[in-house]
Amino acid sequence: MIRSICGLFVLMVLALWSMPALLFAEDTVCIQCHGGQEGRLAAPVAEWRTSIHAENGISCHDCHGGDPTDFAMAMSPERGFIGVPEYTAVPDFCGRCHVGVAAEYKAGAHGKAIENGGAQCVICHGNHAVQRASLDLINEESCTRCHTYDRAAMIKLSLSETDTMISSVDHDLERLYRLGFAVDEMKGSLFNQRNRFHSIFHEVDVERVREETTGVQGELGKIVKEVASIDSTLGQRKLWGSVVIGLFILAGV
Amino acid sequence: MQPIKSLVDFIDVRLGVKDLYNKELHGYLLPRNVNAWYTLGAVVLTLFTLQIVTGILLLMFYVPDAEKAFASVQYIVNEVPYGWLFRMLHAIGANVIMIALLLHMLSVLFMGSYKGRREFTWLTGFIILNLTLGLCLTGYLLPWSQLSFWATTVATDAAGAIPVIGEWLVEFLRGGPTVGNQTLGRFFALHVVGMPLILLGLIGVHLFCVKRRGISIPPFGPDYRPSEELPFFEHEKHAGGIPFFPNYFVKDAAVISFFIAFMLAIIFYAPGMFFPESAFQPADPFLTPPHIKPEWYFLWAYQTLKIFPSEIIGLGVQGAFMTFLALLPFIDRGPERRPAKRPLFVTCFVLSILLFLAISIWGHYS
Repeated sequence: MIRSICGLFVLMVLALWSMPALLFAEDTVCIQCHGGQEGRLAAPVAEWRTSIHAENGISCHDCHGGDPTDFAMAMSPERGFIGVPEYTAVPDFCGRCHVGVAAEYKAGAHGKAIENGGAQCVICHGNHAVQRASLDLINEESCTRCHTYDRAAMIKLSLSETDTMISSVDHDLERLYRLGFAVDEMKGSLFNQRNRFHSIFHEVDVERVREETTGVQGELGKIVKEVASIDSTLGQRKLWGSVVIGLFILAGV
Repeated sequence: MQPIKSLVDFIDVRLGVKDLYNKELHGYLLPRNVNAWYTLGAVVLTLFTLQIVTGILLLMFYVPDAEKAFASVQYIVNEVPYGWLFRMLHAIGANVIMIALLLHMLSVLFMGSYKGRREFTWLTGFIILNLTLGLCLTGYLLPWSQLSFWATTVATDAAGAIPVIGEWLVEFLRGGPTVGNQTLGRFFALHVVGMPLILLGLIGVHLFCVKRRGISIPPFGPDYRPSEELPFFEHEKHAGGIPFFPNYFVKDAAVISFFIAFMLAIIFYAPGMFFPESAFQPADPFLTPPHIKPEWYFLWAYQTLKIFPSEIIGLGVQGAFMTFLALLPFIDRGPERRPAKRPLFVTCFVLSILLFLAISIWGHYS
């Protein structure tokens, strides 16, 4: 009996959890129509549901245009429907939102080689099932589809170190923020360095990547030093606090 | 020692302090079997004193203006020497006071200490509890964080469920249709002047009632017998009892020390316990944070409003319960105070505590 109730409860929680996505999906005619079809016409809907775009409320019409409220005019060019872009037009297609990234990509070796079949956005990131970008995208299986992995591995190594450092600093600043410390300035600095770091994600020149990551790490080092100073203060507070607590307990006993 | 003795003598011949000491401190006798639960009044009094001292220190830097309040609290915590400590003592101290007050009230209920012509003592204590809740509510808004803003919006909104005067009452509490600078102004005035003045007066009356009527004997032990109510005033004496000073004062000091140690342990080891993320974000009237919840001592009231199909029923139930609690000494008039001989009362007492905890936990996770 108890097991049944627990099962029912879990089902209810899951149903409630998935409600916002379901409600959102029902709002667009694209999903209603494609979701009801079979094969390649239905596949994008299932893929999209797992994507970072779906998580952030970016739906079909945000990329492909058209009217998501009107079945008849949903795919009408009059309502801005774009459909599937040409291979070489993909960077501009994605670049309408990811402006900075598109510019960096175009300046890099991949972007310059696009006319000759160089990799564009969806080759590495995927299309409808696009996930939050991470260094895991640089991997032997993916890169060796077009070229050898050695240079990519070197770039990944340089980026990984900085990426770990950014995550660690971010975590530390969040911790201090939750303790009431004014970390706005440090957060601002981290934001700048993270942007600078992201700007080299599409760079394939190993030396430039190393140079930039060294620069970013130098700036992050300043934040790390400041965090360490606050942590040292916190440690001292805790030490003195423990002494005072001990004295009060002793007085109580 | 000679200079101190001379000073005491100097004061004594003018104010008779030795006589006062002998009568009111050393000569003030308490029942021999008095227990640690009787110290909670002194604990609350000490914590209130701490709130006043830390409140004054915060007041030196706090700016009661919607544009500057959040920044001024940030300034106190980050720039003012030991400002973080004063702020934490004040904010976490408020929670510890609520714990001590609730324990004080529960111990009085369990031991039936409100009986024996102690209605005034109970009533003033009950009003002090409610006033403390009011102080917590008004103080909650002052940091002008997201938590402050939205918790106050939700709390004041509940008053709107009262028929006829509801809307007017909401506007009166907020000083306008929504929580804003005018709300901050009136909450600030109430928090730092209005309510503390009334509280000090009430504490004075409460202590006067306790002292004048006399401490009740703990209803335990083989010698305890319920006393009949007399048709005239009588101070409850405890001949052969223990002196308040120094004997019981030491016990008071010990429990106070434990409470302060407990409060400091939270400050130094779990400072975020009473501060959700929204407490660190400046108030934004255009951005409602998810899962906004009141403080733990208001969760039962918050959830009660949600349980019933309409808020007015919820408010009615809360009002009926609080009125019943306030008038308990007038309703429960039997002389028996021993818990073992009051099974119905003890059952209701335990069930009420469990219900309070269950509804609060429900409110927290709802």
